[in-house]
Formats: sequence, C-alpha cells, structure tokens
Amino acid sequence: MNQLIQDVRYALRQLRKSPGFTTTAVLTLALGIGANAAIFTLVHAVLLRNLPVVDPKALVRIGNTDDCCVNGGTPDRNDYSIFAYELYLHLKDNTPEFEQLAAMQAGGAAFTARSSKLDAMPKSLGGEFVSGNYFQTLGLQSGAGRLMLPSDDVAGSPSVAVMSYRTWQREYGLDPTIVGSTFTLNTHPVTIIGVTPPAFYGDRMTDSPPDFYMPFALEPLMGQASLLHRRNLNWVYLLGRIKPGTQLAPLQAKVSGSLRQYLATIPLYQKADEQKNLADSHVVLTPGGVGIANMQQNYSSGLSLLMAISALVLLIACANIANLVLVRGMARRAETSIRMALGAQRRRLIRQMLTESVVLSCLGGVAGLAVAYAGTRTLLSLAFPDAPNLPIQASPSPVVLGFAFGLSLLTGLVFGIAPAWVTSHSEPAEALRGSNRSTKDSSSLLQRGLVVFQAALSLVLLVGAGLLSKSLSKLEHQDFGVETENRIVMHISPENAGFKPEQLQPLYEQIEQKFHALPGVERVSLSLYTPLEGNNWGEAVAIQGRPEAGANSPVGASWLRVSPEFFDIVGHRVLRGRGITAQDTATSPGVAVVNQAFVKKFFPNGEDALGKHFGTEGVKSSSDFEIVGVVNNVKYNNVREPVRAMYFRPLLQVAKSSPDGETRSLYMSAIMLQTKGEVEGLESQSRKLLASIDSNLPVMNYTRFETQIAGQFGQERLIARLTLIFGVLALVLASVGLYGVTAYTVARRTSEIGIRMALGAARSNVVGMVLKEAMFQATLGLAIGIPVALLCVRFVKTQLYGVEGRDLGVLVLATLALAVSALIAGLIPARRAASTDPMNALRTE
Amino acid sequence: MAESIIQIEQMMKVFYTDEIETHALSGIHLTINRGEYVAMSGPSGCGKSTLLSIIGLLDTPTAGHYTLNGKKVANLNFADRSRIRNQEIGFIFQSFNLIGDLTVAENVELPLTYRAGMPSAERKKRVEESLERVNMAHRMRHYPAQLSGGQQQRVAVARALAGSPSILLADEPTGNLDSKNGEVVMKLLQELHNEGATICMVTHDPRFAAHAERQVHLFDGKVVAEGELNRLLAEVQG
Repeated sequence: MNQLIQDVRYALRQLRKSPGFTTTAVLTLALGIGANAAIFTLVHAVLLRNLPVVDPKALVRIGNTDDCCVNGGTPDRNDYSIFAYELYLHLKDNTPEFEQLAAMQAGGAAFTARSSKLDAMPKSLGGEFVSGNYFQTLGLQSGAGRLMLPSDDVAGSPSVAVMSYRTWQREYGLDPTIVGSTFTLNTHPVTIIGVTPPAFYGDRMTDSPPDFYMPFALEPLMGQASLLHRRNLNWVYLLGRIKPGTQLAPLQAKVSGSLRQYLATIPLYQKADEQKNLADSHVVLTPGGVGIANMQQNYSSGLSLLMAISALVLLIACANIANLVLVRGMARRAETSIRMALGAQRRRLIRQMLTESVVLSCLGGVAGLAVAYAGTRTLLSLAFPDAPNLPIQASPSPVVLGFAFGLSLLTGLVFGIAPAWVTSHSEPAEALRGSNRSTKDSSSLLQRGLVVFQAALSLVLLVGAGLLSKSLSKLEHQDFGVETENRIVMHISPENAGFKPEQLQPLYEQIEQKFHALPGVERVSLSLYTPLEGNNWGEAVAIQGRPEAGANSPVGASWLRVSPEFFDIVGHRVLRGRGITAQDTATSPGVAVVNQAFVKKFFPNGEDALGKHFGTEGVKSSSDFEIVGVVNNVKYNNVREPVRAMYFRPLLQVAKSSPDGETRSLYMSAIMLQTKGEVEGLESQSRKLLASIDSNLPVMNYTRFETQIAGQFGQERLIARLTLIFGVLALVLASVGLYGVTAYTVARRTSEIGIRMALGAARSNVVGMVLKEAMFQATLGLAIGIPVALLCVRFVKTQLYGVEGRDLGVLVLATLALAVSALIAGLIPARRAASTDPMNALRTE
Repeated sequence: MAESIIQIEQMMKVFYTDEIETHALSGIHLTINRGEYVAMSGPSGCGKSTLLSIIGLLDTPTAGHYTLNGKKVANLNFADRSRIRNQEIGFIFQSFNLIGDLTVAENVELPLTYRAGMPSAERKKRVEESLERVNMAHRMRHYPAQLSGGQQQRVAVARALAGSPSILLADEPTGNLDSKNGEVVMKLLQELHNEGATICMVTHDPRFAAHAERQVHLFDGKVVAEGELNRLLAEVQG
C-alpha cells in the first residue's frame, strides 16, 4: 500500500512536470472515456436497468414481443404477448404459481385532464389502465396518499386514479392538496387517491411515461368504444411476480395450455382452418425485471452498435496515448536503467509505469465524466426530442460512475502495458554508460504497429460512418409521395372530450369551417391519422366475388378515414376516378379510394379496380364499399418498407354489414392545415379556435408536417451522426498518431538526415524518404483495414437502407480520406526534416 | 587469512555485433577481499566498465566463474541478479545518476523501496543516517538540479551506502567533477574505507587511483598488472 501511494505520488509529480503531455493525454482520454460513458448511460438506462421496484428479479412477463397496441386475429408465429382483458382474468385464475399477476394497457392513451381546483383549461396528459393489483405486484409504496388496490378495480366502485410523482412535481409543484382532489378525466370525475413513489416511471422504459394510472374498471367510462370485454381484441400486457422456487419452463407450458383453453372459446379459433393456429398458440415467459422491454427491443441493436463504435474510438485513443507514453518511456530510459541498477525488479518497474498510466487514465476518466454529462444530454435530446418526462438522467448514476472508473482502469492498463513492457526492458548496464550513449531503440516497431492499428481501425469506422450517412441520406431523401411545404399537423381527441358519435358530424363541419375562416389557411382536413406519425389501422380485405380467404392469407390492408381536402394537403394525386368528396356522407353509399399498392396487391392481373366492391368482415361484407378512385402511393408507416396497400374512407360512413363495430374509427384524431406561406400565431389561433368549439378539446400536439416526418429517422440520424463524429475523431487521432511517430522518428534521425544532406541529398529526397515511411504505415493500415471493414459491414447491415454493404463509393471515399490525412500528417515532419541544417545536425551528434 | 567478497576466475565477455565478435574481457582473474579498496585502471576500451558491470551484476559474463559473498552469481537470472544487486552492491556512477524528479531523500531511499519488507520508518532512519554521513542531511528536501555536482555525487554516495551493501562500486566517481569537488568525494570514499567499507573503483586518473590500497591495471580485456601503486609504478619505470 505504501509503495502504491508512493507510486501514485510520483506519477502525479511526473504528470505535473509535463503539462503538454498530460493535457493532451487527459483530453484525448476524456473524449474517449466520456463518449463511452455517455453511451453507456443510455445503454444502462434503456437496456440494463431494472424497474425501481421490490425484488425485480422475481418479476416475469408473459410474452416476449412488442405487438402494441390493439390487435385482433392471430399473432405472428402464434406467439402471444398481448392479451384480451378477459384472457388476463382467465390466466390469473389458472396460474397460482404467480403470487400476483398484473395487467397493464399495452399502448397508453392521451386523456383530457383538468384539476377541478388548479387547472383553468384541460390538459392533454397520458394515462394507462392497470389492474387493481398492479402496484401490489410491483411491491411499491406510495409517494403520497395511497396506491390502487384490487378493490378499486371493481365495476361500480368509486372512480379513482393514481398520479405519477413526476406529473405531480411538473404540473402541480407537489401540491399536497392534489391527493384526494377530483380531476376530470375525459369529462369523467375521478379522485386522485395517491401518487407513485418518486423513482417509479411505470412498467416500462419509455419517453412518455404515464401521468395517471387508472383501474381497468374505469375504461368503459373513458371512451365511446370500450375494449374491456372484447374477448377477441388483445390490448393488455401481463407482468407477474412468481412464487419462490417456481420453475419457468413448466409454468410457460402451463400458461400456454391455459391460453389455448381460452382461445378455443372465441369465434376466431372455432373456424376449421384456425385449428392449426390454435394448437400452435403459445406464450414465452421472459424476465420481467426491466418491465415490458419494448424500448429495449427497439434500441438494442442501435445502442449496441454505438457502444461498439465508441469502444473502437477509445481503442484508437489508447493506441495514441500508448505511443505518447512510449516516447516518454524512451526518454526516461536512463532513469529506468538507474532504477534497475539499484535493484528494481522488472515487475516493480512495470507496476510503477502502469500506476502512472492508470493515474493518467483516471484523470482522463474524471474529465470524461464532464464530457459524458454533456454528451448524454446531447444524446438524449437527439434520441428523445420533446420528451420532458423521459426517465433517464444525464447526471452519472453510481453504475455509470463505476463504469467510468472501471473503464479508466482498463484504459490505463491497455495503453500502459506495452510501453511499460518495452521500457522496463532497458539494460541496467546503461546506467554505467551515461545518458549520451544510445542503444538500439526497440520501441519503434511497436510505435509503427500502433499507428498501423489506428489507421486500420479508423478506416473501419470511416467506412461504417460513410455507409450509415449514405443510408440516412437515402432514407431522408426517398420519395414519400407527400407535400410538406406549409403543412401543419395537430392532434385532438373528440372521444376524450366526451363527444357522442351522433355529435361528430356537426363537430367536424364546425372544425372545417372555422379553420377555413382563419387568415392564411388554404385547406383543412380531418383524418383518423396522418402519414408517418407512427399510427396504423389495418383490416383484412375481402374482395367481392372471391372466396373466403384462408387463415394466413395475405389480405391485410391499412386504412384511414379522411375528409375531402386530405388528399390535396398530403400530396396524394388522384390517378383514376375521384377522391373523397363532401357528398360522401354518413348516409350515402359506402365508397373507398385505394392506393396503387392496393390495386397491385388485390388486382394483380390488370383488372380495373374502379367499381369493384370489398369489405372487411369476410365475404358477407364484400359489398360494403365501392372503389371510386385510385391515388398514388404515399408512405404512411415504416419508412424502410414499401408502401402498404391502403384504402381511404369518408369520415362518417359505416359499413352496412357491421354498423356497430366501427364506432372507434369515427373519432378523428388529426387535423391538417395547408397555409399560404408562414402564418404568424397559427398555433395559438388553432388552440383558441378548438377551445371555442369545446373547452375539453385541447390540441395534443402541433407540429409541421416535415418535422413529423423527420421524427421518423430519429434513431437513424442519431446513429449516423454519432458514427460520423466518431469516424472523424478516429481519423484525427490516427493522423495525430502518425504525425507523432513520424516527427519522433525525424527527431531521432536528425544527424542521419544531416549526413545525407551533407553528402548531397536534395530536400525533395529527404521529404520523399520521410513521406515514404509515413505512407507505408498508412498503406499497411489500409491493407488491414479494408478487409476488416468489409467483414464488419455485416454488423451495420440491418441499419442500412438502400445501400449495399460493400459500397465501392464509400470505401473509396474512406480510403481517400485516410490517405490524404496520412499525407498531411507525414508532410509536416517531412518538410521539417528537409529544412535540417546539416552543420547543426552533425554538431548535435 | 582475509575473507574474499569477490572471486572472479577465467571470466570472458564477448559482444556480438552482426558478424563481428568483440572480446571485451579475456580470461580475467580477480579477487577482492572484505575491507579492501581496489582501483581499476586502464586505457579507454580496455574493459574496465565491462568488468565493473559484471561485478555489479548489471551484466553477465560469456564464460567464467564469479562468486559474490560466497554465492555463485555468474549465471543467475535477471530477477535474482536484481535482488542481489539491491542487497549486496552500492553503485556510485560517474554521472551521479540521481533521478531528477525525486528529492534528495527520495533518491537515497530509492534502493530501499525495492527491498521487500523494509518498514517505512527503517527506511527513513537509514536515509537520514546516510545523508548525515555525507553531510547532505540539510538538503534532503531539495531536488538534484538544485545541488552542485559535488553535492550530487555525495548524495549518490549516500544512496549507495543506504542499503548497507557488501561492496561499493564506483565508476569514475570524479569524472564529472572539478578537481576540488573530486578531492572531496575521494576523501569521502577514503573515510568510508577507513570505516571498513569494501570499495572497487574504476578510474583512469593515477592521482585518484593512489587513494586505493591496491590497483588492477587492465589492457585489451586482461589484467596486465596488479598490486600496490608504488610497486606498480616501480615495475613500469623499471
């Protein structure tokens, strides 16, 4: 211990003595460690962190995929992860192996909320329906008041809700009178019985945790089309706490059996061709410590890629500092010889040198925490824009601090070990020879090797950055088929505002008229949703005159309801027939406009789609809608996938074969505006306008159409930008490394260069000689880097869009960037070498 | 009969550079007894420093036998040589070889820190005694650059003494000093010898060699003369 303290003190003294070296090394390490710590902060928060609940390891989720948010039909691979509420009750009753089994709404919903005491206007807040035993399952104690109990989740019991601590803090300044007060949620009075504990952010990591938790018993009161007792609609996730000693494999088999038992009772699985699906239906139990791991699944590959890339940058930084340390070690070789002459063992010297490296890297780690904090804030704002409730803190947690400390130690060892080894192999007899006598420098091979390593890794990163940037560019500049100039999107919820279906037509007319009357507004539309907002409604299509489709037939199509001006605002062109018009009312014949992909999918042999009929409830419904027009393809869903088959229906028409089954779809959630240029104050005018129609109709979000579309590439943009930053950083580090080694070599060869010049070498000869060596290292780096980069492409292939893994252009560009940087890095010391005065050089010798 | 500390027999040292063999030592026989003060001299390139390196276990011989304090040490591995060097040998170098980043006290303490198990208090005590012995205790918190050449060499002597070695090896200890400071250091070595220290010194200056009680003269890697200075001078003159 004593020796360690002594070594640390000596190391600090050494570092203080060389402020230039120390500053360079600490800054380089701060960037490397900071970048890694910043990304680890996200990795830990998103992928690794358990829910802040009691004994999270005892939690088990029934299910393993996202499958959000309301699904009918059979799931992919018959793998159930989302369940009907009654199926939840069935499973709960039949699995005593769970101490508690809780259910929670898969997709949270927006609520129009107003505190009877504190809010002048209603707010749009997020809520989640949960089972009465939700908080008991998680083992939570309230932050204030009390949490929900099973007795609160009974039809007819008083309406209650639990507020999240963050909402209590953000919206109501921790006002204690909130507990016990009445809120109006979607026009229904609800008592806030308590607040969640401060650290709790829900049953899953998400950028918009719920503001309210409400019992399922309230669900039928909160909207017009309840899901609670729809036996065939799956919309809740299940998370349970198993009893100690429960084996998961038998439990999984048992739950799957119970699932099939329930499914056999619903009409869907009573069809003859669904028997195989029924027999295959199953669940997968997964660890539930992290809760519902949807975000984990979405971000896992991207974050892993970023973690790997930042680790590569740190490796390059390590190689750079190893070179610096090596040069210092060589300069201190005389001292090492003296220590050895005085009896120092080699391992003792290595330990002392490693102590110096580790002290240096710890200083870098401390500075890196500042970089990590700033980096994490930037990352969070890039990855989760407009997410004030995001439960991820930029300030380093104890785990992140531990990671940074561990990484600093490891970094110190990585960049310190080789120089320590080389330096400790000084000859003790050199102490007798004095400092002026030089011996063979065994470090130069290692130095060059490190530069080659840096160049090779830089090329790998540059190729990765190039591929991801090109992919992002292709994603962003693909033809979505939309017009975005002067288009505004805002979202509302007439359902939350308490409108009955019969009140919708006058509401929609009023909205259209009033918005049209706003100065600068050219067009107004209402729709179920808009392109590229992350929403989708789908149905199985039955074309008239065709037989009933089989169980797994690809007959799905996306659809939405739109008002007459929607096509013009979005940028759809009517290619044949007509669009939706004002004459398509609730009482007029059922019509639909389809897109080109629909025609291609359902009329592949060139049949004329116009005039054909189809329905969505099987053959019996196939006369419901007549196709009256065809519009061009516009992307509504996944930007990476081809345009889906889509059909568009008027706002209020219901299918004559199932008039009662379409209530939910009658509630439009999107208003789009097309304006004549920039209209000042349009947002506040819009909010006032809607409030004037109904005070319970707040604007839930207001955005430009192009911003909404850009939001679709958030993750891709984050990864591409970071990879590019890391690639450039790697290139700079590699160039600095090459410069350093070349400059050091030139300094060591000053006398040799002097002799050459004295013997008649021209300056160009000297420049050529030095450059040749520098470029040789860069070329060797390229020779290693190119095949490695081509091999590594498979790790980013899933992230690419419209770019081949082996993209020659990107490879050539990356190679050129590295070659030019190497040329510049070599040219500076080469020119300095060429300016050597032979007389001075020989005198130095 | 005097007890020998160093016994060297038939020692050879050959350096190989590419295809050239250089015989630095060619069959050296040498014995140094406890308490003896031996000076080794000879022209440049005669093998003095090579012999001193091998005696100091800084290097290994190509052939021959070397016994230090009764232990055969010619073929020890690196780690064992380091350990014995630390315990048995005190070095005084021509260029002092103090470490510039360590204070005087830390420089003197340095060999003791490489000795396993020595308590800190014991180290401090030895450092103080050694520095007092060379009259440099008042400068113990200074850095080498703040001292004159003579003072630095005295600190180097203190460092050599601190480990209580069996023998002090001095390589041209006055080589980098002016004559006045050289005399001071030589006087110091003489005092140490008088107090019982065994000293082996390489020098090419006959004035300083005269301080030793026995001279060994090397030429072309061989001991060509050995004995008291006066006798040697007589032989050379005769």
